[in-house]
Parts: sequence; C-alpha cells; structure tokens
Amino acid sequence: MKRNSTSGLIIDRRELMAGAAAVGLSFGLRPAFADEAPKKGGTLKLGMEGGSASDSLDPRTYADSIPISYGWQIWNGLVEIDANGDAVGELAENFEAKPGATTWIFNIRKGISFTSGKKLDAEDVIYSLNLHRGETKSGAKDLLSNIADIKKLDTHQIEFTLKSGDAGFPTVFADYHILIVPTGFTDFSKPDGTGAYALESFEPGVRVITKNKGNYWKPNRGNFDSVELRYIPDAAARTQALISGQIDAANRLDAKTVSLVMKAPTVDVVRSKGTGNRFAFVAHCDADPYTNNDIRLALKYGIDRQKIVDAVYKGFATIGNDTTVAPSMKYFAKDVPQRPYDPDKAAFHFKKAGMANATMELQVSEGAFSGATDAAVLYQEAMKKAGIDLQVKRVSGDGYWDNVWLKVPFCAVYWGGRPTCDNQLSQTFLSSANWNDTNWKRPEFDKILTAARAELDEAKRTQMYSDAQKMIVDDGGMVCFAIGDYLDGYGKKVKGTAPHPHYDMCDQRIAEKGWFA
Amino acid sequence: MGRLIATRAGLGLLTLLAVSVLIFVCTQILPGDVASAVLGQQATPDALRVFRAELGLDKPAYLRYFSWLFGVFHGDFGRSLTNQRDILSELGPRFANTLFLAAYAAMIAVPLAVGLGILSAIREGRLTDRIANVLTLVAISVPEVFVGYILIIIFAIDLGWFPSLATVFPGMGLGERLYVATLPALTLTMVVTAHMLRMTRNSVLSIMSTPYIEMAFLKGLSRSRVVSRHALPNAAGPIISVVALNLAYLVVGVVVVENVFVYPGVGQYMVDAVSKRDVPVVQACGLVFAAVFVCLNTFADIMAILVNPRLRRRR
Repeated sequence: MKRNSTSGLIIDRRELMAGAAAVGLSFGLRPAFADEAPKKGGTLKLGMEGGSASDSLDPRTYADSIPISYGWQIWNGLVEIDANGDAVGELAENFEAKPGATTWIFNIRKGISFTSGKKLDAEDVIYSLNLHRGETKSGAKDLLSNIADIKKLDTHQIEFTLKSGDAGFPTVFADYHILIVPTGFTDFSKPDGTGAYALESFEPGVRVITKNKGNYWKPNRGNFDSVELRYIPDAAARTQALISGQIDAANRLDAKTVSLVMKAPTVDVVRSKGTGNRFAFVAHCDADPYTNNDIRLALKYGIDRQKIVDAVYKGFATIGNDTTVAPSMKYFAKDVPQRPYDPDKAAFHFKKAGMANATMELQVSEGAFSGATDAAVLYQEAMKKAGIDLQVKRVSGDGYWDNVWLKVPFCAVYWGGRPTCDNQLSQTFLSSANWNDTNWKRPEFDKILTAARAELDEAKRTQMYSDAQKMIVDDGGMVCFAIGDYLDGYGKKVKGTAPHPHYDMCDQRIAEKGWFA
Repeated sequence: MGRLIATRAGLGLLTLLAVSVLIFVCTQILPGDVASAVLGQQATPDALRVFRAELGLDKPAYLRYFSWLFGVFHGDFGRSLTNQRDILSELGPRFANTLFLAAYAAMIAVPLAVGLGILSAIREGRLTDRIANVLTLVAISVPEVFVGYILIIIFAIDLGWFPSLATVFPGMGLGERLYVATLPALTLTMVVTAHMLRMTRNSVLSIMSTPYIEMAFLKGLSRSRVVSRHALPNAAGPIISVVALNLAYLVVGVVVVENVFVYPGVGQYMVDAVSKRDVPVVQACGLVFAAVFVCLNTFADIMAILVNPRLRRRR
C-alpha cells in the first residue's frame, strides 16, 4: 500500500518525508512538535491587532491575524509549516506523490476526535476541502484550483488528482482557511474542531475565549488551561498592556517604539527577520509610460531602499529586490544581484526611454500599509536626485482595495508571505493571476513556473525559480523595496516562543505551542 | 406640558426616520460594499459574487431599505451582514457600556464645569477665573488621544493606580466597572469641561450686567448670593443647552477614546461596521445615536421651560 518514491532521482529529506516507508517512519513529526518539557496550566492572554467587530467563525471569511489565531486554536489543518519552512503532516499523517507529481495519496491520522466526539476520517477531510472549492466565497479557492479530483480510497486515505504536476502540493493545505470540520458541518457559530481548545465565548471586536479540552492528540502542545484573545487595535494601547502585564503576548509591535519595549524588564521581543509583509509600488506594464522597460528600470534604480528601511521601518525590515520572494524563503534567487540605488543609471534609463514629458503619478495611502506615504515621499526625493519628477498623490484609505489597487497605473501595495515560492509567484506574476497588479504577462514566465512545479530534481528546480525571479527583476513592473520584520512581544513567563518563517506569533499558534514557566 | 412632550416625541420619530434614510443613502454612495470590504485582498470576482448572493445584496437598494424598515417596526434589527450575529443582542450591551461611561464622565464633568464656571463668574477677573480658563482651554485644545496617552503613562504605567485597558465584560460588578473605566472617564472630562465652564461663566456674566442685579447689589447682598439666587436661575437656559450638547457628545463622539482604552462601546462597533459597509449595523447605531440626541434635546428644552416661569404658562 505505501510505496517509496520510485523516480530513481536523488532522494532528499523532502522525498523521505513525502514517501514514508511501510515501517511507519514519520520524519515530519519530531522536529515540529518536540520541545523542552512544557508545563501545563494558566490562562494565556493575547492582545492582538488584525480583526474587527465584523469577524466571523467561518474560515472561508478569514483574512487577518485574529481569526487565523482563533481558527488554529479550535481546528487543525491537514498540514502545518515547521520551523524550517517545510510542510509537515498535521491531521495528515503522511503524504506521497506518484511520479510526475499529479497524483498524491494522503493518509489521515487515526484516533483523533472532534469536540463533539466524532472520530476524524477521510469523509470529514473531503467535505472540509470542498467548502473551499467550486462555488465558494473562500479566499482559498485559487489555491485549490489545481485539484481536478478528490477520491476517497479508504476510511483514512485520500487520493488527489491534479490538473498539472506540483511537487510542493501538500503546502497548499497549510493555508489558514483550510480547517478540517466534521462532514456535513454548517453552523460555524457552534464550532466543532480537533484543535487543542474549544470555543467558550465569542465577542468579535472585543475578545474570544477558548478552553482546553484536555487530551490534545499532539504531544507537548495545548498547554494552557484557557486562552483569552483580546482585540487591541491601537498599537500604543497594546504595548502598554503588555508592559504593565495585563496581557501576556502582543503582536505587531510598532517599529518606532520597539527599541523602548526591548528595554522593559518584563518583556521579551521576538523578531522574525524579513518574513513579514512585502511592501511595494506596482506599475501597470500596459499603461504609458510604464510600457517601456527603461522607464521601469529607471523606477527601480531611482529608489533608495536602505533609506526607507531606516527611516520608515527603523531598520526592522530587509531590503527587497523587486519580487515578492523574500531572502528567507527556499528558492530565493541568491545569484540575482540586489539592485542598488543608482541615480545616474536611473537618469540614463529615463533618458533612453525618450519619454521625458511623461507624467508619473504614484498613488499612496495609509490604507495600503502604514508608512506608505512616508516611503513614497522618500522615493520622490531619491528620484529628484536622478532628475526625474515623480508625483505622489495621497488618497483615502477607505475603499483603497476597491478603487485604487489593480485599477490605478502606479500605486502602493503590500503582499503577505506565502509558504512556498510557487504560491508567492503564482498569485502575483502569472499571466492568469487575478491579482497580477502589474499586468505583466509573459508566456515564458508562465511556462517556467508550471514546469518548476512538477520538477522533482532539486538543482533544476532551484535554477528554474532563479530564472523566473530574474525575469521579474529585469522586466517586471514591481518595485518591492522592503520586507518587514515581524515584531512580537511576550511577557517573560511565556515560553516556547521563537521566530517562524511563516507567520508571526509562532505561526499564529502560540496558544498551541507555548507554555508558562 | 403633556402636549409639548407629545409633539416633540412625534417630531423626534420623524427625525429618526429621516436619519435612517440619510444613513442608508450615504452608505450606498460609498465605494465598495460589504463583500469586497470583508474579503479585502482576497476578493476575487467569484468570491464576491457568491458572498453577495448569500446576503441578498443583488436586490435593488429601495427594496432592501424597506425590508429593513419593516423589520425595525417589529423590533427586529436584523443580523450583521459580516458575521450573521443578531444586531440587537450585540448593540444592547455596547450601548449600556457607552451610557455607563458617558454617565460616569458626566457625573465628574458637569458639577466640575458648572461649579467652576459659577465660581469664575463670581470672581471674575481674579486669579481663580484666569487659571480655570487657561487650564480648560489647554485641556480642550489637546487631542483626546494624546490626553488619554498622558493619563495612561502617569496613572497606569508610572503610578500603577489604574489599568490601561478599560475593557468591561458582562458579569463585572459595579465597583470593578468604575475602577476600570476611571481613566477614560477622566479623559472625557478633560475634553468636555471647557465648553460647559466657559458657557456657564459667560451666561452668568451676561446676566450680571442687567439692572435688577445691580439693584440686588445696591440692596447690599453678597456677590455669591446674588449670583446663585438671582442670576443663576435666569442663566440656566444656555447652561442646560450646552450641558445637553456635551452629554450627547459623550455618548456619540467618543470613538477615539474607546479605541485607545479598548472600551467596548457603540462607537468602535459603528466605525468597524462603516469600514466593512455593514449597512444594518450602521443603520442600527445611527438610529440609536439619533435617538440619544433627540431625547437629550427634548429634555434640555423641557428643563429650560421649567426653569423659566415665563415659559411655563401658555397664554
């Protein structure tokens, strides 16, 4: 029943995990779950930004940090991202691909129960996945669009048939929308999940309380008696509450004040470098004057990235190289040189384009991301030194994502990190992507990306992703100048915290992973 | 008096109706709708279509308005478009919280402002008057966010007397609520005192120049007696008006303070609903606020009449 991967290629750690032998080795488990022996007990008080009074318990609507956090307290996904950024089995015990990576077999863990007592089986998984496929409002729909068919092979085994090969397929199930509910489940106001905690009280916009169910199936996880998640959208209020001990953990500390917070004796700050939001200005490649690549190069040479990182993010960000792939990610193109700030080259390309009278107007708003206006003004100053006139227009944040992004030829945007390079590039740069905010369509790029998905040879795959990124860097319309750091704050008695390559607050699973000293 | 109250109540209801239409129209004019606002960056055309169909947003605007109005007449404010929660059960506790904070702030601010205002009028031009004026002007000029932060730094972080988070939960006792809500109440006090104080002072002083007051002085009465017994009852009209206005502000205009202290009132609820274009919630909050204004204004008018005997009798 369980077969080793027979492709005959070099087996690396990824293959080993993907093709667990009949001996039942589960390589993914230990590194993800094992910690120093944690103590049980206590109420974890989280103070977070990233939600509002309109939040719902329905995972299809999740879009921000607070719902993600309570989602993973109550439910589990099929797969989670470990400390190295790889997908390891959560409710899926293991998974393997047939050669060609178009067919995948997933084995579901046995002996796991929902809060209601129902035992987890393949039917539950299939039902849960279908909530995000077909006619659905779920934000995960695009991620699952490559699935052609899901077939139940056995009570705990599922076969996926993909439209095109994808060697990194399991990672899509790490998405925060795709939570596993019992088959036929519809009433999300009374959640039923396999997670460590059960919902006790839900007041969106105020707080969410969950209580430990006891007997969590993951060893050394789910250590608090209960979790109280408080909505504190104001950064100063959140920081003050953390320092005075009213909350045990806070997310999104303000870069402007975090150096002061680091000095507070009651607080630890956990900084995840360069894994946060990617901040960029995007120009439509099909709108004049940005149709000319020399103009686009001028835009990319004419921005002083380090200055923006220092002034706007106080050094708590990494310089970006005009794609949404971060240096911390696997398959980041290390051999593509970082474009420097070079006013002379910018002036040269601008002159070469021969569009000296072109007006370039960058629209920004604090509604795009906090600091966008400051970054744009610094950009304008840097461009002046190259003799280029860049106009900056500040617009309202309200309705920014409806009226400005994707519609206006040159504007500000932020992109969240994704677990894989493929996800990251597909959502933004594929010709067919809904969110291709530079309108950059290159069939050669699409071909490389599709081929890279199915490529099982690591060396070839790395080269393909590197080529793909080089295309974007040299020809694309995105000026990605910074990738933010995540700054989490924890009270000194919270243990088990560490930076994570995926999301902040220990991949939004601090309630599950942490414990009190 | 009874007829007066009845007419005012009737007019008040008409006002509420007009307000509800206005709010509905304004939210429709804003770009985007609840589907694109909730899904945000994840809003693909398909997802939007499904979301809208689920909530019946494809029906024309006037149909939606009238079905909402119909519901309201039956006491059903409907469900939030974003998370399907019953609006009345969400709004009820939050409104109670807002009223609690407003009452707390008013109980500190109104006696303080009116008392200091009268004192300033009595000792016009003297040191008390000048200090009171300057201090309150400074307090009202500083943005309430900043006042809030200063109070937090002094009282919550440095001295540790009060908590910086003012969140109140159901089941909290009165004492605990008073303790937790002290800093926001103080912030609000600082914001509204100046207006009431200066109005009181000016109102009293303008009466002071009338002949009958001069007569009272000539009779040999002390200044404080003249002010409190003879000037104040006539000055009460404008004072009551300004107090009512500030009370209405304490209920309606304190979103920022709610945000800084994380106090679960109606303000933050409404602001969240507006940015998510959650029309039923915005309507409900708008109605509640309009009702507060109408009630307070009516109350102020009645009080003004009661205080002034010349208005009590209709000829």
